[in-house]
Amino acid sequence: MSATTYPTAPARTVRAATVRKTLKAEWTKLRTLPSTWRTAIAAVVVAVGWSVAVVAIQLSEWHAMSAQQRGVFDPTSTSLSGVMLAAVILGALGVRAVTGEYSTGMIRSTFTAIPARRLVLAAKAATVAAFVFPITLVCEAAGFALGQHLLASKHLQVALGDPGVLRAMLFGALAVSLVAVIGVGVAGIVRHTAGATTTLVLLVVGGLTLGQLLPAGWRQYVPGIAAQAAVTVHRSTGLLAPTAAIGVLAAYAAIALGAASIRVAHRDA
Amino acid sequence: MIEAQHLTKRYGRTVAVDEVSFAVKPGRVTGFLGPNGAGKSTTMRMILGLDAPSSGSILVNGRPYHELDDPLRWVGALLDAKAIVGGRSAANHLKWLADSNGLDRRRVSEVLDIAGLSDVAGQRVGTFSLGMSQRLGIAAALLGDPETVILDEPVNGLDPDGILWIRELMKSLAAQGRTVFLSSHLMSEMAQTADHLLVIGRGRIIADTSTEEFINRSSASSVRVRAVQQTELADALTRRDGQVERSADGALLVTGLDCLAIGGIASAHDITLFELSARAATLEEAFFDLTRDETDYRAGELTDATQGA
Repeated sequence: MSATTYPTAPARTVRAATVRKTLKAEWTKLRTLPSTWRTAIAAVVVAVGWSVAVVAIQLSEWHAMSAQQRGVFDPTSTSLSGVMLAAVILGALGVRAVTGEYSTGMIRSTFTAIPARRLVLAAKAATVAAFVFPITLVCEAAGFALGQHLLASKHLQVALGDPGVLRAMLFGALAVSLVAVIGVGVAGIVRHTAGATTTLVLLVVGGLTLGQLLPAGWRQYVPGIAAQAAVTVHRSTGLLAPTAAIGVLAAYAAIALGAASIRVAHRDA
Repeated sequence: MIEAQHLTKRYGRTVAVDEVSFAVKPGRVTGFLGPNGAGKSTTMRMILGLDAPSSGSILVNGRPYHELDDPLRWVGALLDAKAIVGGRSAANHLKWLADSNGLDRRRVSEVLDIAGLSDVAGQRVGTFSLGMSQRLGIAAALLGDPETVILDEPVNGLDPDGILWIRELMKSLAAQGRTVFLSSHLMSEMAQTADHLLVIGRGRIIADTSTEEFINRSSASSVRVRAVQQTELADALTRRDGQVERSADGALLVTGLDCLAIGGIASAHDITLFELSARAATLEEAFFDLTRDETDYRAGELTDATQGA
């Protein structure tokens, strides 16, 4: 491939009307793919199912838990456990929004219609994030409602209005949106569905296990662990504060998208 | 209007397009002809801003492609009909394109109608045959009602009805004053559709001329002539730069001079002709004649040989 720079002058300002049209086009693309909706349904089913399962397991072991374990039990984050799986499933939407076009060659139609390539990438990230956010909220609301219903049997339940609960749910949705943006960025760099999806899964879920090998101080910056920290109410050691966790994920998203936009703009399509 | 000036594209040490300059003008169908690997697709991608020229420039309506506002309103292009995400319906594929350039969505059903795809508008494009995909690609190219239409191998996979449709469509677009630029390796198709030809070989333009001129100028086009004073005529024609060969039945086969010139020369020498007939080469013959020594030819010589349109 050529090392020639694609002749989009970085200084050239993209007009607001172009931004609006690009966002509209990317939204039309996302919503008109049946697989988008199948993925959303799968995310809700899997995430809610997982949340309920985790709550049920914790409840069944409650009698065997030490006072210390009971003390750090977080009814909110436990009923939002499925958020991690939602992140993987919905994050893949971000990957496919990019690799689907590179693998078929349709990216050339996209860049012919919208020559501002960085804008295209940013619009993909924005539309996928905006789509993923409410879907994750649905996952969380259902998981929370069912989870708290089960926890009520041992009077462990919390209510939506309790301190930190609403923030945990909003941050959870924000974390998944940011993972989807990371997916867009990784896909812009890797360009193959399998490679990009694997990378994303390693970052989110793989990071949970591999992260254990890292020194304690570093572990909290692993994307998957940061995503988990975002949904906690009771702070436990080794986890970032929720706001800091969102900041870390936003930094990952910015780096991935930034690297992808350099690569997209500097290569022949 | 498409204008290339000293347009060059290098991939590493390979030169795909080598300092070509040409203009594709409105109001006619310009055919882009050349063997595989000659640089046709690379040139088309550079027109559309998909590949960056290594040097030189290529402008559409006087501007680089990426500076066009709502480019689909200026240029409609079909590069690869199968390069499409298969999960969307035909109508939805056109809808995102329309949205991207702020085009009226009513235009979607109009172009589906033009392309004869109204009945399958709701069908997933992944299920389309190559011919249907070509029609969808052409519908997409026409979406913005563009002034310039660029089609790479548009008749690929089309049935005879489809080919006839494309041919008429290209001609009608040119007749409306639009710039129509199409590549094809099917030379018989080019001969029937293109008014003007741009022939590329090894990254260089080796002919830029009207289709008629291209065929006539070819050494494969000849005039068969018989005269009472056969030897005298042969001498006279040779003096006027005609190449004369004798056929088995004694007739002269003349290249480089047309019937009018030969008639005039004969008359000036008081030579009586009793046969004078033009034998036009086909586009295939003219093309192979031009690219016969593809490995050896020097672009300059061949361009000279075909100039004068």
